Amino acid sequence: MLIRGDELDEASSRIAEVTQASTAGFFAQCYELFDLPPLGSLIKCRDGDNEILAVTCNARTSSLETGRRPIARGKTESTEEDVFRSNPQLKQLLKSEFEAVVVGHSFNNKYHHYLPPRPIRLHSFVYLCNPDEILEFSRSLEFLTLLAGARTELPSEELIAACVRFIGACHAEPSTFTKEAGKKLAQIFVYDYQKLRTILLRLKL
Amino acid sequence: MSLDLNKVAGSIESMANELAIENSKRVDALNTAIDKFEKPGDINALKHRLDQAKTSWLLAEIPGSLNCRFDPPPLPADHSVLATDGSQIDIDRHHPARCCLINIGSVMLQYGRNHGSFLESEPTLFSKTEELALKPEDGNPGREISIEGPLLGIIRTVEEFRYLARLASRLPADLPALALVDGSLIMWGLMSKDLPDYLVDIMLDKGVLKYINQIEDLNSKHPVALASYISFPRSTDVINSLRIAACPQQVPDCDKFCIGITVNERPCDIVAGVNDRELFWTCLADSQRSDIFISQSKISKTRYGHHRVYFFYLKTGNEIARVEIPEWVALKPELLGITHSLVLEQCRKGQGYPVALSEAHELAVVSGADRQNFFYLVDEYFIDYRLSTSISAKSASKKNRWI
Repeated sequence: MLIRGDELDEASSRIAEVTQASTAGFFAQCYELFDLPPLGSLIKCRDGDNEILAVTCNARTSSLETGRRPIARGKTESTEEDVFRSNPQLKQLLKSEFEAVVVGHSFNNKYHHYLPPRPIRLHSFVYLCNPDEILEFSRSLEFLTLLAGARTELPSEELIAACVRFIGACHAEPSTFTKEAGKKLAQIFVYDYQKLRTILLRLKL
Repeated sequence: MSLDLNKVAGSIESMANELAIENSKRVDALNTAIDKFEKPGDINALKHRLDQAKTSWLLAEIPGSLNCRFDPPPLPADHSVLATDGSQIDIDRHHPARCCLINIGSVMLQYGRNHGSFLESEPTLFSKTEELALKPEDGNPGREISIEGPLLGIIRTVEEFRYLARLASRLPADLPALALVDGSLIMWGLMSKDLPDYLVDIMLDKGVLKYINQIEDLNSKHPVALASYISFPRSTDVINSLRIAACPQQVPDCDKFCIGITVNERPCDIVAGVNDRELFWTCLADSQRSDIFISQSKISKTRYGHHRVYFFYLKTGNEIARVEIPEWVALKPELLGITHSLVLEQCRKGQGYPVALSEAHELAVVSGADRQNFFYLVDEYFIDYRLSTSISAKSASKKNRWI
């Protein structure tokens, strides 16, 4: 049974907005500076009655304008907070954004662990999935195949390991989930022992 | 073929060589100017001679001392700084759309306990017939003037002050504040003889001065200073006053005494070629400001009333800046102190240039690409409404280059 996000407090789980989108992934800008979801978090966007689910990666905070690079400002400040206190305009000139790899979608109240028929619309709101949604979605581990094939700046081993750790933390028995995920990854990386070993080491398996 | 730099390189080298020779001569003039500045003799006598002098150049009136320096007062822990700057897209006479645009960047920075910021850019399109020309109000006689070119620049300045006054009205009422604009407080563009009087009334009395008044009125609640910041000034008002100190005549009168004498041969030319910036770079220590001076600009003297423009020079560490202030700021030590310490701190935070002005500029600036996109957007709407988008043959020829 799919649990809808609107049953929860939407405002608190809405963290960002889609600024660039393709079928396999999207970029989103956070509403609050530095308020980035952890690497490997499961997030969702609405697409009409359905949802697109994705895993976060490649978070960054940078200048809003490409031609203006942030410079060091804290030489004479006592704390990092003082840098922002002395330069109150900074929060409006910087942006925190992240990339997300699409790992599934919902259709007819059911999760599907393959790519949706079309990309998410620009300016769609991005929500953190709640623990019930994470448990429901991770009943199937097929999403790991999409994650393994994702092309991001980040090494896929880091992304996969972070995602498994993040989802495992929502399970009553994280080690059981992690072991199941490890078996699935062994199938996916049957011809790439080195990559599998790197991931398993990061999962402490 | 576009510009061939190889062909002009020789001329550039000659220019640099001539300037280098001239610079070595100017060292003597600068030393003389410093000497006159430090030892002006009887200052009251000099002030009297400045009052009576008839010169072709602008003199700095000296209300106080000539050569006092002032260290900055302590920075108020909680304060606000406001700034506006503007940019424009002028009418393109090669484009079928007769319209222009002014973009104003507004910045409010609040420092201290409740630190925060407000940054906004606001574009305004001028396209209606009545928006694109100015004419006398209430049916008074006078020719209609089209809003383009220099007049658009003047209107932009008025808009900068309008937005600054609006921003100032939203200031927290318990903090000292500084409102900043870039450039001069003096509306030099209105001194053109080509402009009718009614236009000066609209731009000055019902424009800039009205908004300066609104900012001044806020002082009934909390101290709000107003200043304009001129980076790398080339003015010579103070040096010109030193020319009077160097003049052997009791009542200097250029037309009477020096009419036949070649330039550089006149007695006052011993300080020629130097500007105020160079003088104060030597005479001020870091963070210090000069004493205040009064601009003798005709428009400031005759039209600004108690907003008459005063100025001082400030050594920010990176450069000498000219800071212009209205009389009500200059004559109130608290507001003068706020101006000195906050401009200095803004420069420190802004890598040598006031950070509020720098951000206002970033918000206001219209780049070449912005201008192009603006006209693309105009074209798209014209196509939607089946209006002609044909451009002049000259413009088409520049866009579609061919051999």
